[in-house]
Amino acid sequence: MQQGLWDLNTFAPKLDVVVPGDTIPAMFWNAVKQRGDNIWMRQKKLGIWRSWSWHQTADAVREIAAGLQAIGFAPSECASILSNTVIEWVLADLAVLSCGGVSNGIYPTDAASQVHYLCEDSRTTVLFVEDDEQLDKALEVRAGLPGLRRVIVFDMEGLRELDDAGVMSLDALRALGRERLGADPQAVERTVTACRPEDLAILVYTSGTTGKPKGAMHSHAGLVYTARGYNTLVAQDDKDERMCFLPLCHIAERMGGEYFAMYTGSILNFVENPETVPENVREIAPTVFTAVPRVWEKFYSGVMIALKEASPLQQAAYRWSIGVGERIAERVLAGQPVGTGLKLKFRLARALALDNARKLIGIHRSRFLVTGAAPISPELVKWYLALGVPMLEVWGMTESCGASTAVPAARIKPGSIGPATSYNEVRVDPATGEILVRGPNVFMGYLNLPEKTAETIDADGWLHTGDVGVMDEDGYFRITDRMKDIIITAGGKNVTPSELENELKFSLYITDAVVIGDRRPYLTVIVMIDQENVEKFAQDNDVPFSNYESLTRAKEVQELIQGEIDRVNAKFARVEQIKKFFLLETQLSAEDEELTPTMKLKRKLVQTKYAERIEAMYR
Amino acid sequence: MSDTVLQLMNVESAYGPIKAIRGVSLRVRKGEIVTVLGSNGAGKTTILKTISGIIDPRKGSIEFQGADITAKDPAYIVQQGLSHVPEGREVFPLLSVKDNLLMGAYTRKDRDGVARDIETVYGYFPILRERAAQDAGLLSGGQQQMLAISRAIMAAPHLILLDEPSLGLSPKLTKEIFEIVVRINRERGTTILLVEQNANMALNAADHGYVLENGRIVMEDSCERLREKEDIKEFYLGMKDDGVRGERRWKKKKTWR
Repeated sequence: MQQGLWDLNTFAPKLDVVVPGDTIPAMFWNAVKQRGDNIWMRQKKLGIWRSWSWHQTADAVREIAAGLQAIGFAPSECASILSNTVIEWVLADLAVLSCGGVSNGIYPTDAASQVHYLCEDSRTTVLFVEDDEQLDKALEVRAGLPGLRRVIVFDMEGLRELDDAGVMSLDALRALGRERLGADPQAVERTVTACRPEDLAILVYTSGTTGKPKGAMHSHAGLVYTARGYNTLVAQDDKDERMCFLPLCHIAERMGGEYFAMYTGSILNFVENPETVPENVREIAPTVFTAVPRVWEKFYSGVMIALKEASPLQQAAYRWSIGVGERIAERVLAGQPVGTGLKLKFRLARALALDNARKLIGIHRSRFLVTGAAPISPELVKWYLALGVPMLEVWGMTESCGASTAVPAARIKPGSIGPATSYNEVRVDPATGEILVRGPNVFMGYLNLPEKTAETIDADGWLHTGDVGVMDEDGYFRITDRMKDIIITAGGKNVTPSELENELKFSLYITDAVVIGDRRPYLTVIVMIDQENVEKFAQDNDVPFSNYESLTRAKEVQELIQGEIDRVNAKFARVEQIKKFFLLETQLSAEDEELTPTMKLKRKLVQTKYAERIEAMYR
Repeated sequence: MSDTVLQLMNVESAYGPIKAIRGVSLRVRKGEIVTVLGSNGAGKTTILKTISGIIDPRKGSIEFQGADITAKDPAYIVQQGLSHVPEGREVFPLLSVKDNLLMGAYTRKDRDGVARDIETVYGYFPILRERAAQDAGLLSGGQQQMLAISRAIMAAPHLILLDEPSLGLSPKLTKEIFEIVVRINRERGTTILLVEQNANMALNAADHGYVLENGRIVMEDSCERLREKEDIKEFYLGMKDDGVRGERRWKKKKTWR
């Protein structure tokens, strides 16, 4: 039986499970020594979950690293990884770092031209690709990358006929590595010990909503420091099961997934592919679960859809149960004790409905949930609390190596990003309202961009985050907007679009929204609908539609969204209300330029791309 | 619209707990050949069965020539002028070819008309005249398909639902059958709703097409335009560029736009 929401102040880190080490490879090899045959990773292959012990992982990493050395990969050279989140990603990453190299991730959804840019900018000499699909991108741009010496393919399926001197399989690389290790068994140990904490370890390219992506540089010291820091926030240990499914090129999964699990010994379970996440969550039933708001929204709407199809009795049971959960959540949030009667009722509520909702999502074993990387609606956080699962919001950015503030389990305040973590300082710039971060976790700067770095980290070492916020009397921060997104209407009113957008996004029917109105007479919004739920709505209400476009054009759907906007408008002053809107008519996927790899609409791009339709709203 | 023969509005049908079609809306205009494309299990046959009354939909409505026929008795629907050629032919194997044709005309009272229509179908498919007295079970697969189509024509329908006429037929026979289907449409003015896996054939024969995936329509357009869509080319017509290596095994993601 796990703890109730009412006694969450016992998340103490276990100090006997963590490992020493001042660089990522040192930490990894210490972990191998300490944990040996324990399991570190699992991945489903052909329907069966296969485990990787620390020893097995170490063998693979050692061979890959030696193989890299055999093909001339020298310390401080850069290797890039172009792949979905799979075990080989982690193996390649750790091998590159064990060679003293720099590891850089590329989103598998990136187009060939982006792969070209990232390899060129990072001066990649070795490129790991997942399969034939990703290989084709590399081959397309190889001619323009004179520095790229070798492409290594994880999965050779469909490539047996390939005869290309510049391309080899991961297995072939490992064979080369074995050969080298036979002659020189200490080859990898030497580069591991030679690696210094202040050396550049990884590059994380920021999504770049404006202009080209920028490569944020993190040192070993910064990464190791942050991994240790995370354990003071969201302590986990070797009994914990995590799910590894967000892109590993993103700081959240790289740091909070891979490196943090390496430090604590928690088990990483890899999903089969991005489409199977919902099923895999249920199979894995993670005990610690970090995800982005979009995932939490999807889970919520999945439960809502199931509920609509349930019998009236089941619906009544759910309503009563969630009501009990909400009352408890309210008391916990207000810092009031929860009475025995309510606790008993909550047991019943769990047995009646809440446990089923949790199982439906796959969070029935979760000790806590962590959300970050984008703002989340407070209502959604409260819903998870009502289910009895604490949801902790963290805030940070690539440049701060992930979390800089975090909501502590003992005192959750939905809508707030929590106080500064113990390992860095956070303050609000009194002049601009911008939130600033300082600490060893702050990055080294942007690769090849000294001016941009100087703009971002000031002379006193403060990282300018670009987020505007306030701090309350308890030291909790609240983000109000991105600096550059603040809208000043033609009437001179300052409006923070993200407040409106977050309210809109809590609607079941709206996935994302971009509010427009800078130097305009009134506010308007571009809405991306939630296909699944709007289709369901259309079916339930006999709205005929044949495809996505006709769905967005249906009068009833337009009215539905208008209704959602009206609901949000009611919470805002008149000048802050949205007067008009339009729905994006194409169904967007991560490959589309309008979306970031984390599936958020790119504000600037959307504004230019749909300029014509935006103008139409002001005519 | 007045020239609409058949209109489905948000039709949802299920086999027990499994929803086969989830909110399908489509429209067939008079004199058109309309095709529904989709892979195995997309719900194509279910759409036809729901129209002809074999399955009652959970939701939605079906209008045929301006009248509501949702969940009506199949026999009643046939009398309204809607014939269904089922998947896998389903001829009466122990009846003669002629009797099979007469079974098709069971609901009709005009003997002269029936006699005329028998002559017409013999005109389309001369082999049926030769085999008129033989048991239908002795016909080849292609001939049975011809008989099944002919049997549907015998009811003098305004609309024929044609379920995968190419099933199990050689490419040559398939081509012949499709030619006749187009002829029936042009000469008799019979409207046809055609369900097919053979996308190339169907897109050439039909005027308007819908693409069905997992029980939902993901795309609709004139067949001319459908043929030019990237997704249709790659996933339904098997045309794709070979990529940088000259061979490409991986599939692009469907976007349906």
